[in-house]
Order: sequence, then structure tokens, then C-alpha cells
Amino acid sequence: MNSGISVVLKATPLFSLWGFPITNSLLMTWLVMILLIGFALLLRRRLALVPGKLQAGIEAAFEFALDYMAEVLGTEEAARRFFPLVATIFLFVATANVLEFVPGVGESIGFASATGLTPLLRAPAADLNFTLALAAISFFVIEVTGIATLGLFRHLSRYVNLRGGPVGFAVGVIELLSNLGRLVSFSFRLFGNIFAGEVMVLVAGFFLPYVLPAPLMGFEMFIGLIQALVFAMLTLFFIKLAIMEPHGAH
Amino acid sequence: MNQLFAAFGIDWKLLIAQAVNFGIVLFALWCFLYAPVMRMLEKRRTVVAQGVEDARRAAEKLAGADSAAAERVAQADTEAEGIVARARQAASAQSTEIVESARARAEALAKDAALRAEEEKAKALRESEREVARLAILAAEKVMREKAV
Repeated sequence: MNSGISVVLKATPLFSLWGFPITNSLLMTWLVMILLIGFALLLRRRLALVPGKLQAGIEAAFEFALDYMAEVLGTEEAARRFFPLVATIFLFVATANVLEFVPGVGESIGFASATGLTPLLRAPAADLNFTLALAAISFFVIEVTGIATLGLFRHLSRYVNLRGGPVGFAVGVIELLSNLGRLVSFSFRLFGNIFAGEVMVLVAGFFLPYVLPAPLMGFEMFIGLIQALVFAMLTLFFIKLAIMEPHGAH
Repeated sequence: MNQLFAAFGIDWKLLIAQAVNFGIVLFALWCFLYAPVMRMLEKRRTVVAQGVEDARRAAEKLAGADSAAAERVAQADTEAEGIVARARQAASAQSTEIVESARARAEALAKDAALRAEEEKAKALRESEREVARLAILAAEKVMREKAV
């Protein structure tokens, strides 16, 4: 390891497959996917009418989440419809974030290169591609839900408001900008938290390698869970806003 | 803008790859986790509802059985009382009959004995009279014989 701290803002491509760059974050994402899907398959095989502890816990979590979503969205049916999306966002991001400091992820294992060590695995959320893709999906689902619930014209009247006078028009423009801004806020919030956490643990390890990183890692894993929850909840709330009547229509 | 994208390593190929990854996870978890768990929850709900319904019906049936049993016990009680009363009546009737017949027999025996005693007495009297007479005759004969000598 060379002296000093090397902080890389973007995921490093490890190699190219038919012109497609395989980065260390993408590799880690695949690992997370394998873990999640493997867990789901394992659990599905063990599902029983009389639940074990694991199944009971998962069922309780599902019911809690469904109840909460039904409360937010207003109907049980809407909760059931959006549950898979919100739950997947949470599970995917939470798993990716919690595995952030597992030995082997980050700076410890990788390829030696001219600039130092290229980590083999990098936390997915420490790559803006991952968070931006999720933000785009969330944004897309929110807008499509708005159109599907209210109809194209009433949904668009949210943004281009000609009946409310100049103030109404300005409100529409602001709403459009703020909705587009969600793409940025969603992606950079998650990216910033996780990336900053990695940098902080790295710096702490540089100062006090034997004591300080462990509690910080625990704290950063907690932050990772919170960020997963925030991402999922914000998606939920924006879906709620999208299925509500536009301002001034009622 | 391009500089910004380059600084953060944003690459549309990677973006699409991560979006597809999310899609795969969403689909897989939907098929293998959410749907089965929801089905299981629904199934358990129906089973529990069935169980509660069954329990209610069983309790109803039990209450019915209780009252039926109580009724039967009461019926059996009255029947038993009747039987005992009849038995007691029959027994007392029989016992008076027995006592009556015993008394009658005792009376008959006593009368018989008295009669026989009377007869015995009369017989003895007759016999003793006859003996006295015979002795008198013998005495008379003896006297006469002495006189004649």
C-alpha cells in the first residue's frame, strides 16, 4: 500500500467485457443481488403455515410495512401495489450499505496498479451510477403513477398551470423544477452519505487504526440502513403526492 | 455537464446496467419473496378464521351437549326416584303380607295346640276314671271274696 490516503470519487473499471466496463461497484452490486435472491429462494423453500422464527420476523416486518403504507397511501390496495417497489428499494440499498465494511469490500482486496491498489469490490452506493439509476427508477415510477391515476392532462396541469394566473404558473414551474431536482437529491443524498462514510472510516483508520474505525463502521452501517429507509420512504411519499389531486384542483 | 458526469464516473452503460440490476432484483424478490409470503399470510388468515369459526361452533356444540346431558341426568334422577318409591311401596306391601301370614299361622298353631291340650286332658281324665273304676271293682271283688270265705 502506498503512503497517504487515496480517495477515488468514482467506481474504478476493473476490466471490459465486449466494450462494457465492469466496475468494482457493479461487481459488488451483483454480489448483493446474488445474496438477496439466494436468501429469497432459501426462505421460499422453507415457508410453512406454522412459521419459524425467521419467517415470523419477516412476516411481521411485511405486515408492519404494509400497514404503514396503507396508512400513507390511503388504501390497502395501493399499499399492496407499491409494496414490492418500496420494499425492494429498501432491501437492495440496505443490503448494499450494510455490506459496505465487510472485509474484502473497499480498500483491502484488489488489483495492484500503477496508482496503488484498485479495490475489487466497492459499495454500490458509493458509485453515483447505482444511486442515479435508482433515483431515475423512483422518479419514473412516481411520474407514471401520477399519469395513471389522474390522467395525462391533469398530471401535466401540475406543472403547466394556466388557470391559476401568473402565481399559479410560477408554482407549476417550481413544482416541475423541484420534481426534476428529486433526481439529484435522491441520488446525491445516498451517494454522499455512503461515500462520506467510507472516506471517514478510511481517515479514522489512518489516524488510529486499531480502535477508532470499528465504532465508526457500526455507525456508518446504521447510517446506511437509515439512508435505505429514507430512499424508500421518500419514494413512498412522492407516490402519495403524485396520486393526490394537483394543487388548486379541489 | 460532461465534466460533471466524468468526475462522478457516470456512464450510461453503467446506469442502464444498474437499472437492469434493480429490475432483476425487483422481479426476483416479487416472485420468490413477496408473492409467496403474501400468499402464506393470506392462507394463514383463512386457516385462522376457519379455526376461530370451528372453535365457536365447538363451544356452541359443547354448550348444547351440556344442557342435553343435564336434561338426561335430571330425567334419570326422576326415573330413579320413581323406581325407588315403587320398590319401597312394593317392599312394605310384601312385608305386611308376610307379617300377616305369619301371625295367622302363629294363631292357627296356638289354637291347634290349645285344642290338642284340651283333648289330651279329656283323654287323661277319661283314662283315670276308667282306672279308678277298675280299681274300685277290684277292691269290691276282694272284699266280697274275703266275706265269702
